[in-house]
Amino acid sequence: MTGKEKVLAVLNKEKIASIPWLPFAGVHSGRLKGYTAREVSTDAAKLIESLREVNKLYKPDGQPIMFDLQIEAEILGCELLWSEDAPPTVSTHPLSDTADIPEHIPAVNEGRIPLAIEAMKAMKGEIGDTTALYGLITGPFTLASHLRGTNIFMDMIMNPSYVTELLGYCTKVAKAVSTFYIEAGMDVIAVVDPLVSQISPDHFGEFMDKPFAEVFDLIRAAGAKSSFFVCGNASANIAPMCKTRPDSISVDENVNLATAKKITDEYNVVIGGNIPLTSVMLFGTQQDNMKNTVDLIDSVDNTDLLIIAPGCDMPYATPVENTIGVQQAVHQTEQIREMVKNYEGTEIEFEGELPDYNNLEKPFIEVFTLDSITCAACTYMKASAVDIKEHFGDKIDMIEYKYTDPQNIARCKVMEVKQLPSIYINGELKYSSIIPNRSEFIAVVEKCL
Amino acid sequence: MADFEKISELMQKGKADEVKQLCAEALEEGVAPKDVLDMALLAAMNIVGVKFKNNEVFVPEVLIAARAMNFGLEILKPAMVDDDIEEIGKVVIGTVKGDLHDIGKNLVKIMFEGKGLTVIDLGADVSAEKYVEAASNENANVIACSALLTTTMTQMEAIVKAAEDAGIRDKVTIMVGGAPVTQKFCDSIGADIYAADAATASEKALEVCTK
Repeated sequence: MTGKEKVLAVLNKEKIASIPWLPFAGVHSGRLKGYTAREVSTDAAKLIESLREVNKLYKPDGQPIMFDLQIEAEILGCELLWSEDAPPTVSTHPLSDTADIPEHIPAVNEGRIPLAIEAMKAMKGEIGDTTALYGLITGPFTLASHLRGTNIFMDMIMNPSYVTELLGYCTKVAKAVSTFYIEAGMDVIAVVDPLVSQISPDHFGEFMDKPFAEVFDLIRAAGAKSSFFVCGNASANIAPMCKTRPDSISVDENVNLATAKKITDEYNVVIGGNIPLTSVMLFGTQQDNMKNTVDLIDSVDNTDLLIIAPGCDMPYATPVENTIGVQQAVHQTEQIREMVKNYEGTEIEFEGELPDYNNLEKPFIEVFTLDSITCAACTYMKASAVDIKEHFGDKIDMIEYKYTDPQNIARCKVMEVKQLPSIYINGELKYSSIIPNRSEFIAVVEKCL
Repeated sequence: MADFEKISELMQKGKADEVKQLCAEALEEGVAPKDVLDMALLAAMNIVGVKFKNNEVFVPEVLIAARAMNFGLEILKPAMVDDDIEEIGKVVIGTVKGDLHDIGKNLVKIMFEGKGLTVIDLGADVSAEKYVEAASNENANVIACSALLTTTMTQMEAIVKAAEDAGIRDKVTIMVGGAPVTQKFCDSIGADIYAADAATASEKALEVCTK
């Protein structure tokens, strides 16, 4: 099964043997190619190049094109504060001092929608056969809060009819943008509404039922799949969210996935989540990420109707090897479970002998991989080393150590290898996670000859 | 006789006009304004804080209760004599530089006020120097800083450093919070207190100010 087939099968509520993996690489994608968050948010060519790299390194079954909740708001008059290492933030709220309801619905050629669509079409052509593509829109409630500011919360109690009207308008916007993205080839429309976690189930019922149901109905009628993304502690709203009839929902680490899954299972809705973004993905080690993912998969009653994904948009600086670790743990769960166990086991002693790196006869390239057959990044890393070996022939030595072998885990510990895949030359770390380009690699080896 | 319980219940429901009226009636009956404040308004905000922490009430309910509290305070404050206005402690609060998200910060501010603390709100996008300058000028017990983004939470380290540079580090407790912040992060940057939610933040701040 291709990744796309897996995602669509799960969203069609079919039981399949494996769990789909959906890395939310928003602006983080740019980091893989050395671009800033602002560059991939404003330059289609750089965005496309970065998305290609996400697909190559992270082997996603499903992949978002942009994770940017400011696209609609910007068109509707919100000013943005730009950042080089995070998505932009809304800095002004055009409706903060007025109870007017806007009428303008974004057109397909407005603001950054053309940029999103260009990237969607390009990725559809390149990877659309094998990867389920996600188009993310701003949910009606979060869009309303962008326009109105935090007054929206007080309005819910003091001026409920205004909120209903404003949400009605934001729903029209959400439907329009969903249509643009479906027409651009998106398989799944994710309605991203982090603020939903900040209101009670009663308020959800009063204000959100109709807008969200309308958007999901439109997506369904257009033949695409849908997802309801929320951030924060949305535990109390999981059932109300399911009742708006999305195909799936996605939660962050503030929600207990196993508990929430019991609810989503009752409604026959797929649940996705929820690798912790900061403590694990950003600040954890590769081992932490693998262990956390295996533990997460083990925590749920069953793995039907399940997608594994980061809790929300991945931080820009998420270490590449951490995401690779999660990907491996989703796709090769049993193998990674064994690796984590071996790594944690204190009894494994390194039985071999490290080379005498200071007195080598010729340059020695050592490739440390999780497994170059199953891990895409490892495959590319090893391939680049094989290529270099072919280039230099007998002038250099090259070997791969797969982490699947307990002795190789022990070797990694002795050599203090922290990230996989990595390339060491003469015992020194040269490349970690990001695949080196050929000419640079050749130059580095030549210096060692 | 003033019914503190009733005022508290009305405040929790956000019934601002009724709270205001009952506060006025209590004063007319000769009840000490400080008693109304402590036993009705602050007691009510304490309950709201706990319910918020337990996911029983949400952002709109907290904001509407805070509004009702302020309506009550409008009546009580002018009636308070100097003895009543005993300062428990002072907190400087803000969202860190580069971060405009202030919902969480505002909720924490409300809970601080609910504990009777004096709060200096610096708003959002606050530089490390601004926090420290305000804490220094106001002789604050606590600097409370909030961040929603993984990219801006690193600013908190600059605040710790700025407090050290200004020579006030041993006089001020630095509290950190916000969605991406963890205890581990707090420890790693040398801040003093991590609070996972607004109610806990206010309890911990009160503890600092009263010890």
